[in-house]
Amino acid sequence: MDVFLPIAEVSVNVLAIFSLSGIVGILSGLFGVGGGFLMTPFLIFLGVPPTYAVANEANNILATSVSGSTTHFLKDTLDYKMGLMIVAGGIFGTLFGIWTFTYFKGIGKIDIVISLAYMYILAIIGTAMLVEGLGEIDKARKKIFIKKKLHVHYWIHGLPLRMRFQKSKLYESVFTPIIIGLIVGFIAAIMGIGGAFILVPAMIYIIGMPTRLIPGTSLFVTIFISIIVTFLHAFNYGSIDLILVFMLITGSIVGVQCGQKFGESIDSSALKTLLAILLLLVGIAIAYDTFFAPETIAETIKIDVNNLNRLSMFIKRLSIEVPVLYGLFSIVVALILGVAAAFIRRYFSNLRKKYIKKTN
Amino acid sequence: MTNLIKKLPSEIKKNKLKTGIFLGLSAYWGIILAGTLIQFN
Repeated sequence: MDVFLPIAEVSVNVLAIFSLSGIVGILSGLFGVGGGFLMTPFLIFLGVPPTYAVANEANNILATSVSGSTTHFLKDTLDYKMGLMIVAGGIFGTLFGIWTFTYFKGIGKIDIVISLAYMYILAIIGTAMLVEGLGEIDKARKKIFIKKKLHVHYWIHGLPLRMRFQKSKLYESVFTPIIIGLIVGFIAAIMGIGGAFILVPAMIYIIGMPTRLIPGTSLFVTIFISIIVTFLHAFNYGSIDLILVFMLITGSIVGVQCGQKFGESIDSSALKTLLAILLLLVGIAIAYDTFFAPETIAETIKIDVNNLNRLSMFIKRLSIEVPVLYGLFSIVVALILGVAAAFIRRYFSNLRKKYIKKTN
Repeated sequence: MTNLIKKLPSEIKKNKLKTGIFLGLSAYWGIILAGTLIQFN
């Protein structure tokens, strides 16, 4: 069953979008990452032009990060102060990223830049995860246990303007989270990702935050970055497609909840290795698409825009005539769906607890 | 160093999986680096 996307001007298979966003959602729930680095390439493979894939996935990440962050807010596992410092850097990084995006779009190289960025990011993360995952499996098999250092000091820890982060129990320079936010914001704007896969290791190894505060704080930062990315993409390029966004959000929110549940009973080292292999396979597919079969994207069938149905026509007109309102509307939709998903999950979780108590 | 080079064939035979992964990753990185250079030239 195909559906026409009025903004991206391509037809996509509804089932493919739902199932892929669901699968990526499950992986996100399992590994605590946004999943944008997998979903954007998948959208490109499904025929959505890279410019639109980036913008709409950013909107989808907003919903999933709001959903996850609300859950952590309810559990009180969130460091706002640290999060806001990262956001401060992230705002400048995002603005710089959008400026870079505009530059490459202007010279007609944006599609190749997005593809190359994905190829390298997937190759770097895939290689690092594969080596780490295989190493962990090897050590577990040989029963080797290495005692790790509690905190390693890098040059970034020597920066001035130190402040106390009570919740994380840290005394650190404000520049550390700001620089990390800057890098994450820049990458998020160009690639349409939340940046959690950079943010989470940076929070663990560079900032040295307690593990229990990391997922919530990372998701809290992602909300702000994805709001800016979504709004700027909607305002500058009118590339947010509400129909696609709604399908993506529905699939991924359900997937994330399932993934979090599966994650409680699965061996992490083996999963890490499997995810690494998946990332590398996606990277290989992008490399094939970019270097050996560039015509597949160019040949995507486009439908006459004048023959649209009422809803599609309305969305198209709204995005052209009132881009600010349209951008805000897409953000509000993501926020509402995200918060609703978190509360629905909490409701069912409480219901389950009550049931278990009753049966005991 | 010479000892390491001497032991290399037997190490490769012993760790076939690791060698395969190393070769696969090298090929992947080689392709994307070469492809990037070709795209921008």
